[in-house]
Amino acid sequence: MRLPAQPGEWIDRTTPLGFRFEGRDYTGFAGDTVASALAAAGVSMLGRSFKYHRPRGLLSAANHDVNAMMQWGGMPNLRADATPLAAGMDLEAVNTFGTLERDAGSMLGHLSRFLPVGFYYKAFHGKRLFPLWEKMFRAMTGLGKVDFSAPRQRTPKRYGFCDVLVVGGGTSGLAAALSAAEQGAQVALVDENARLGGSTQGASELVGKVLAHPRIRVFTDTYAAGYYADHWVPLVERERITKMRARAVVVAAGAFEQPAVFRNNDLPGVMLASGAARLIRRHAVQPAGRIVLLAANADAYQALADFIRAGIEVAAVVDLRGTLPSEQRALPAAHDIPLFAGHCILEALPSSDGRRVAGVKIAPLGQTQAIAELACDGVFMSVGWAPAAALLYQAGTKMRYDAGIEQFVPEKLPDGVFACGRVNGVHTFASRLLDGERAGSAAAAHCGLGGAKPIAVPTETDSPTHPWPIVPHPEGKNFIDFDEDLQLSDLENAIQEGFDNIELMKRYSTVGMGPSQGKHSNMNALRVLARATGATPGEVGTTTARPFFHPVPMSHLAGRGFTPERRTPMHALHEAAGAVWMPAGAWQRPEYYAIHGLTREACIEGEALAVRQGVGLIDVGTLGKLEIRGPQAAEFLERVYVSKYAGLKTGMTRYAVMCDEAGVVIDDGVIARLADDHFYFTTTTSGAAAVYRELSRWNTLWKMDCGIVNLTGAMAAMNLAGPKAKQVLTGLTDVDLSLPFLAVREGNVCGVPARLMRAGFVGEWGVEIHVPAEHGARVWQALMQAGQAHGIRPFGVEAQRLLRLEKGHIIIGQDTDGLTTPGEAGLDWAVKMDKPFFVGQRSLAIIASKPRPRQLVGFMLPADHAGPAPQECHLVIDNGDIAGRVTSIAWSPALQRHIGMAYVKPGMDAAGSTFAIRLSDKTLVSAEVAKTPFYDPDNLRQKEEA
Amino acid sequence: MKIMTCPVNGPRAISEFAYGGEIRSMPDPATCSDDEWADYVFNRNGSPGVKREWWCHLPSNTWFVAERDTARDVVLRTYLYEGEG
Amino acid sequence: MPWRLLRFALSKKHPEPRMFTRHDRLKPAYDVVIIGGGGHGLAAAYYLAREHGITNVCVLEKGYIGGGNTGRNTTIIRSNYLTPEGVQFYDESVRLWQDLAQDFDLNLFYSNRGHYTLAHTDAALRTSRWRAEVNKHFGIDSEVVGPEVVKKAAPMIDLSCGGHAPILGALYHAPGAVARHDAVAWGYGRGADMRGVEIHQRTEVLGIGVVGGKVAGVRTNRGNIATNKVLCAVAGATPRILDMVGIRSPIYIHPLQAMVSEPVKPWLDPILVSGSLHVYISQSARGELVMGASLDPYEVQSTRSTFDFPESLSAHMLDMFPFLSNVKVMRQWAGMADMTPDFAPIMGRTPVEGFYLDGGWGTWGFKATPVCGKTMAYTVANDREHTLITGFGLDRFRNFALTGEKGAASVGH
Ligand SMILES: Cc1cc2nc3c(=O)[nH]c(=O)nc-3n(C[C@H](O)[C@H](O)[C@H](O)COP(=O)(O)OP(=O)(O)OC[C@H]3O[C@@H](n4cnc5c(N)ncnc54)[C@H](O)[C@@H]3O)c2cc1C
Repeated sequence: MRLPAQPGEWIDRTTPLGFRFEGRDYTGFAGDTVASALAAAGVSMLGRSFKYHRPRGLLSAANHDVNAMMQWGGMPNLRADATPLAAGMDLEAVNTFGTLERDAGSMLGHLSRFLPVGFYYKAFHGKRLFPLWEKMFRAMTGLGKVDFSAPRQRTPKRYGFCDVLVVGGGTSGLAAALSAAEQGAQVALVDENARLGGSTQGASELVGKVLAHPRIRVFTDTYAAGYYADHWVPLVERERITKMRARAVVVAAGAFEQPAVFRNNDLPGVMLASGAARLIRRHAVQPAGRIVLLAANADAYQALADFIRAGIEVAAVVDLRGTLPSEQRALPAAHDIPLFAGHCILEALPSSDGRRVAGVKIAPLGQTQAIAELACDGVFMSVGWAPAAALLYQAGTKMRYDAGIEQFVPEKLPDGVFACGRVNGVHTFASRLLDGERAGSAAAAHCGLGGAKPIAVPTETDSPTHPWPIVPHPEGKNFIDFDEDLQLSDLENAIQEGFDNIELMKRYSTVGMGPSQGKHSNMNALRVLARATGATPGEVGTTTARPFFHPVPMSHLAGRGFTPERRTPMHALHEAAGAVWMPAGAWQRPEYYAIHGLTREACIEGEALAVRQGVGLIDVGTLGKLEIRGPQAAEFLERVYVSKYAGLKTGMTRYAVMCDEAGVVIDDGVIARLADDHFYFTTTTSGAAAVYRELSRWNTLWKMDCGIVNLTGAMAAMNLAGPKAKQVLTGLTDVDLSLPFLAVREGNVCGVPARLMRAGFVGEWGVEIHVPAEHGARVWQALMQAGQAHGIRPFGVEAQRLLRLEKGHIIIGQDTDGLTTPGEAGLDWAVKMDKPFFVGQRSLAIIASKPRPRQLVGFMLPADHAGPAPQECHLVIDNGDIAGRVTSIAWSPALQRHIGMAYVKPGMDAAGSTFAIRLSDKTLVSAEVAKTPFYDPDNLRQKEEA
Repeated sequence: MKIMTCPVNGPRAISEFAYGGEIRSMPDPATCSDDEWADYVFNRNGSPGVKREWWCHLPSNTWFVAERDTARDVVLRTYLYEGEG
Repeated sequence: MPWRLLRFALSKKHPEPRMFTRHDRLKPAYDVVIIGGGGHGLAAAYYLAREHGITNVCVLEKGYIGGGNTGRNTTIIRSNYLTPEGVQFYDESVRLWQDLAQDFDLNLFYSNRGHYTLAHTDAALRTSRWRAEVNKHFGIDSEVVGPEVVKKAAPMIDLSCGGHAPILGALYHAPGAVARHDAVAWGYGRGADMRGVEIHQRTEVLGIGVVGGKVAGVRTNRGNIATNKVLCAVAGATPRILDMVGIRSPIYIHPLQAMVSEPVKPWLDPILVSGSLHVYISQSARGELVMGASLDPYEVQSTRSTFDFPESLSAHMLDMFPFLSNVKVMRQWAGMADMTPDFAPIMGRTPVEGFYLDGGWGTWGFKATPVCGKTMAYTVANDREHTLITGFGLDRFRNFALTGEKGAASVGH
């Protein structure tokens, strides 16, 4: 029922919003939550429970009412108690079989005696039948449904900075924010509610001051999802995440009101007093007409005043405490409300349709005989609190159990983390103000702003929490965990079975593992365990409070999605030329250039033929390009590569292999000497960043007189190769093109400063041309244009792989793996063990004394090989055993047969001998070990002075 | 996100850094035994504690030393490498 | 409804005894002391008692059983490894898994879902073929499949992965499974307990006595124990225990994190792993999406969480499954992974006589729980390595004879 206007209500009565729930139309107001709008319309059953499909309603109205989860189109698991009402919503309760009204799943409630705690561990595991049972379980399990057509949402993220972050905008949080700001701190104040003020009335003056304060930024409708190292707190808003970096954090997150445990305490209409008060104050909804208030603290009587004011008839106040302060007795007395002190609710009675509470049975605490039965349509509970300490735990706070207030409180806070208010064990309104001021001041002082005010906060005289709000009942259904449908006996039985440690009990019973993550269940569960094992709650301890405080949508976590991709300066030209792209680390490279009407294979073969017979051009700009200068540059290179470079003549290049300290090949490239103290060298595409970094580390360690620069992004590079390459280049450069094989020259190409290296990777006369990146496209275009007359073709990675294979050159990472030594890869010739030192040398010396486990060899298939050819990573089989694997294989147009490289066992590597390769279909193909290079074995073509 | 202080660039998010492992001194390859060498190459001081580690600030390619308690992930001190001892 | 649940309805008192006997004190001596009450330690105890008749054994657990990586892992079970020694070892484990629930009379929710390692690059596809070929050689059901097969198994997947990492194919491994991790520890624990093994929780090993190169005893927070045989099965704490006996090892500790979503109705049948996107995912019997990614990049010996983790993992999840935008992540956590340079475990005898090591389990040791228990029990009982673990000795590093598992380990679970 909707009440007349309440002071400070959150709803806007001028904006009605129509929506549907379970196929029926309703109207609420802007400012309503889904749950408050439904409550206003008199709907009390909002969902079904997870296991027994019992009718459930609102409990907290504070974002942990997991039994009131709804589906709206593609949105699963919307929490009705925390989701703002929107016009046109079409909602259904999650996890019903049929409808909420007629849920076939509710028959499970009758089977509950067959389904004790952990029942699924005790049966269903027959080997044959388990898959069937499992199907059934999977049909029953889960809450909302995902909608495969829901679009990818790209939610923005931003970074925030502040001196003091205050989490919680209740009384103590407001006070903390103000006192920190007054000391000069830039403050961010977050609260998950739509408005500040927390659960207490009376803070409105503070709210005004906070909102007006120039140094306080307020985030409402926002929750702090977790605490991470160095005061990094993600603030989750509806449409965005702000990743807040604070210099100090004040946790003023309050406490969760805890339910009492009695039979049928899950009936719709049974709810926390704070939840009922929220509905009244914020949404002007009267959640019940006639209630019984179950009390055990001062808060109950404050709420009672609210209930009376809202016109709710209070049938009785049942207080678990035998004696209570006179000021608390006064209110019920003044209104002629019967007060049952020292009593409990033995059980709640359902209405005839079982959908709502219709009465309660009351008994003296500890007795099982009811002394009264009262009719009511609501039971509001205020028996105690559990601190909302998740962020404190995550920050590494040591907590202790304070028996005086029956609550865990911070014992030792980490540096820069502060707590105040209920989470700090301070419950009285006036004390919370003081405690907030104290914590805010201390937090500002931590940031170097003013001094921490010495404020003494009086200790609580009256415990706000009852130590045992739990009433056993022979027929059970006294729920401790509403998410997981766990009754008192479930926990007792788990303990009986030996799960008598808080973590084991949790894992076996699943208490606290549901979507509310134990916000209303952990404390009662802990009390059950403590009592069963004769320990104090402090000795039992809590389970670990991990992020998140509330679940966070993946869209928020993912943000906009940022997948950086690197492109060379010639990217657009490749695109225009029909490039088919392949990823190479972060780079995109042309795999080949598609020609309309030709197959992929034909295109690649055409590109390769162009290089062999005419001229081709490939973009090699993704290679790492480093430069090293200094008197000790040569010595440095000799220490990090396996070959020698001191003797390399200026103007010449040399192949370079790098090992790690274990002697494993990790990278290769070409080193060019530009001057005595100046080298330019390349690395593999994928190794570039790591090699540069590792070389820099060695240089930091060795402190040699040389410096390394990474030019990978600054330089474009292309390889012009083929018998006609020289003709293409002539006229475009001032460099004398009679330069010998492996020479390097600096000069101009197309008027652009360039480095030219006579390279032989693809086995034809070729020059690698390196130019500043901004000129890359121009030079490429000029070369393509000049090459037109010679039939030039751009070639991609695949053609290059084939061409290099014909030359027997390895590709690191393809022809090597995580354990390959230079010797195994046939690179013995490059390794100079007579140098004083290089990385990996000592390991290679040890390895050399042991038998070599494998050898990379070239192989050929018979020229008349018919049928499918082996593929890379097909196994070499010897006498039925694995003897190696193919690392590279391709059809060689030049040799007109399949050629490849493979690892084989030692002794199988003699040229001319044969071995067997097993295809995926198990047929064996015979291959012959062949000397490399397969093509132009004497390397005449690449050296040739055309 | 954690903050690491680069001695040159100041405090930055840890995502800007690469970890290079504990600083270990290399035995003299010329004189050490094979076992000593293998120990250097493969074995690590795997227990938690305050360790001197290599860290690199990636955007500026600055290698430096961090003294870090690996049990609590608390950086005690960072400074440029000045050699051993 | 299975008839065996009937007794719960019929009896007035909960008709179940304790799963684990409570022992108020330690005995002065045991034949074997097992450090670590994770799956591995408990399994070794179980097989020592069951197969070797050695029951004067205690398992010492500093926290609660299964509370280490056993209770934190994402429970992927598979045998599609790369090296012959790996493949045969994990294959034996998968075989043992199949009968475990019967052995224990405890439902482990061993759920054979099929496992796809997605390949987004031609290099990944090559590695897939390599693994498939080695697997098939040992009779293991693995094959390289095309994107259309992936699409059939998970029709809702975006094969282009947001356009930047198209799925080119996958390694499909039919036996891939998940199981309920805690129950594995409890099953082994109960089985060992029934056979006389003592399980002592909240009992931390603080030191190990070594006399003349031989194990003599163990010091704990609850007193000293004499023993000549100690099995160390402590995963993330391995270096600390090795320090107690003066053994150096290549094991280093990095955190491995994971997260789960709120429960949603099951929609994902297989287990999917993507090396390029650093994602692995399965959906549990509770309807939660269980998600993991790669190892944290630096050493931390605590189980703290980072926010970067759910951020980047969610981004990659949405690349594959854009429609999950509104699904919420409920919880994240971490374990300490005991990593080795070659992504293979370290098992067997050590230079200290009577000190046996079962460590280096990194991000992949849950699936090995049964076979580790079995082979380590054999090794401890006979003071000789079981043939399945001879490739995993500590001395392989000294001998520069590492295993080749690293070649295939993009996301190594
Ligand atoms: C997030 C994550 C995901 C993973 N995913 C997978 C996966 O999908 N598949 C897979 O196969 N593997 C996975 N793993 C790896 C797997 O979890 C572990 O390798 C495996 O569980 C190790 O089991 P264990 O019994 O050896 O160690 P643990 O379960 O860690 O047990 C060791 C026990 O030793 C105890 N202990 C330590 N020190 C002492 C001491 N001094 N005294 C007494 N007790 C001590 C600890 O408290 C602990 O309980 C994952 C790991 C993590 C962290």
